Amino acid sequence: MEQIIFYILAAIIVIATLFAITERHTVHAIVYLVTSFFALAVIFYLLGAPLVAVFEVIIYAGAIMVLFLFVIMMLDLGHPEKVSSPGWRDWWPATLLGGVLLAATVLLLTVPHAGPAGGGAIGVRDFARALFRQYGIAVEVISMQLLFALVGALYLGRRR
Amino acid sequence: MSAADLWAVVPLLILSCGSLLILLQGAVVPGRYGTAIGVVATLVATLWACQPPVAPTAPVLGIATTPFARFFTAVLALTATAVLLLSHHYNRHREITGEEYPATVLFATFGMAIVASAVNLLTLFLGLEALTFAFYILVAIDRNRPASGEAGLKYLLLGAISAAFVGFGIALIYTGTGTLGIAQAMQGSLTAGNGNPIALAGWGFLLTGLAFKISLVPAHLWTPDVYEGGPAPVIAFLSTASKVATIALLLLLLPAARGALFLHLPLWWLALLSMTVGNLAALLQKNIKRMLAYSAIGQMGYVTLALLSGNGGGYEAAAFYAVAYTGMNLLAFGSVASLSRGGEVNIAEDYRGFGFTRPFAGGILALAMLALAGIPPTAGFVGKFLIFAAALRSGEVSLAIVGILSAAVSIYFYLQVAVNLYLQPVETPSDHNPASLPETATLGLAAVIVVFLGVFPAPFLDLIAGILP
Repeated sequence: MEQIIFYILAAIIVIATLFAITERHTVHAIVYLVTSFFALAVIFYLLGAPLVAVFEVIIYAGAIMVLFLFVIMMLDLGHPEKVSSPGWRDWWPATLLGGVLLAATVLLLTVPHAGPAGGGAIGVRDFARALFRQYGIAVEVISMQLLFALVGALYLGRRR
Repeated sequence: MSAADLWAVVPLLILSCGSLLILLQGAVVPGRYGTAIGVVATLVATLWACQPPVAPTAPVLGIATTPFARFFTAVLALTATAVLLLSHHYNRHREITGEEYPATVLFATFGMAIVASAVNLLTLFLGLEALTFAFYILVAIDRNRPASGEAGLKYLLLGAISAAFVGFGIALIYTGTGTLGIAQAMQGSLTAGNGNPIALAGWGFLLTGLAFKISLVPAHLWTPDVYEGGPAPVIAFLSTASKVATIALLLLLLPAARGALFLHLPLWWLALLSMTVGNLAALLQKNIKRMLAYSAIGQMGYVTLALLSGNGGGYEAAAFYAVAYTGMNLLAFGSVASLSRGGEVNIAEDYRGFGFTRPFAGGILALAMLALAGIPPTAGFVGKFLIFAAALRSGEVSLAIVGILSAAVSIYFYLQVAVNLYLQPVETPSDHNPASLPETATLGLAAVIVVFLGVFPAPFLDLIAGILP
């Protein structure tokens, strides 16, 4: 069963990401991107990494998406006021993908299953150990990178 | 992480803490000591990297202080010192102020040092992205010229795509081999060989992304635009250190996958196309920065040829050429930065007569052209000789012949610049701003190194033979 759900979710990710790329309306594109992120989160859950799945939802589908929407609203790229309220035609792809996603999640949570192939789920302790002990340097490098993203954005955004 | 580990990663700590220190002191005394702190930090990091480590680092660290890592850390940090010294007066003249410039240069060096000392593919990728990230900022740093911002945007867009390629390639290699450790993953992809399409696809993506980083044909199209638009000292850094770091990356990966037949064909075509397209397109350029960009593409083609002929000593030749090329391109872009201070003198014809009016910078540029053309007694000659000898030894006869022919073609456009420098000027130049002391010292030292490596390469070659894994 896991395999079938995996392929369904993978198809959802590909379709939603394609829509996110081709969609002209930025806010719609973001809705598709959120759909893709949710499907990815469920795949992480399937792989036995519930923590990563939760992070995916909280950080990507939550925080980063809000940031995207915020930037779009601030720069007034989406022109939400000029578009008439979305009709059935605009709704159905996202609804369909979201419905399949929801069904897969409910199925996974209710039906008892064997778990991932490589043993049990990875808990917070294992995750933290791998992240900060084995890949501690990587975390440091990423934090430097984020700092300089900020420095660069501040420098280039400053008025002449 | 033990005290010994901390001791071993001190060069990295100096570079990262140095960049943070520059940013912090900029809040207290803006625009005073940024370059000075940067120069001191890179020099100390260089010296620290030269001393042997007390004990081997813990394998879980993701960073190793092998002789290879220390050698490339020293070379890259020293390049950063040179770039900081070269850009100090250039930036002051162009009103590029603020602590962001030296801090970002140090951050870029930090990323490069991470690449050179990585032992797993994750650290490798993050280091590569850190250095590319720094260059997105550095290329666009001149806010007074729209061309700089345009170049930065072009580099950002293509760099993001190449990052996706490298990241996806590493993910596929990880999927195919089940490990992130460089040596194990390379061995895994090798033994899997033809039977493991996932690892092969990963290698394909990885090579595509890396071809962008060292601007090999057909992933080269960003190079002329970015080189033309970016500030000259930044381009000196971009065209030397970022390529050295990527070559170091390839030198970490390829010897571990030695004998992988599936790598032969893509590298063969990359080398062939880069050598021919780069050198032929450089013939047509009127702008000296665009000419140097296409010449860089051709030069990276030679390096690819060296990487291809690892069995005949090509890896040593590639490492030697990376260092020699750093010296030569620092000379070229450093003197371009020095000569173009009174305004943008970009067209090769505008350089006419600089050999008389600005003898030092003109002479340095002429030396750089001779070295890039591969004329003895410079490092360029020794480097090309080693590469073609290695290619012939490992049986790449046809590629070696193409390389020698394209090198012969390249002599034309290099010498064209050198000849123009020593023709009588059309009109008397109006600006008299002599090269500053740090600039003169840096260019002079780099010139000495380029000539020294050309006259007396043996000790350096022994060193390189010792550090390669």
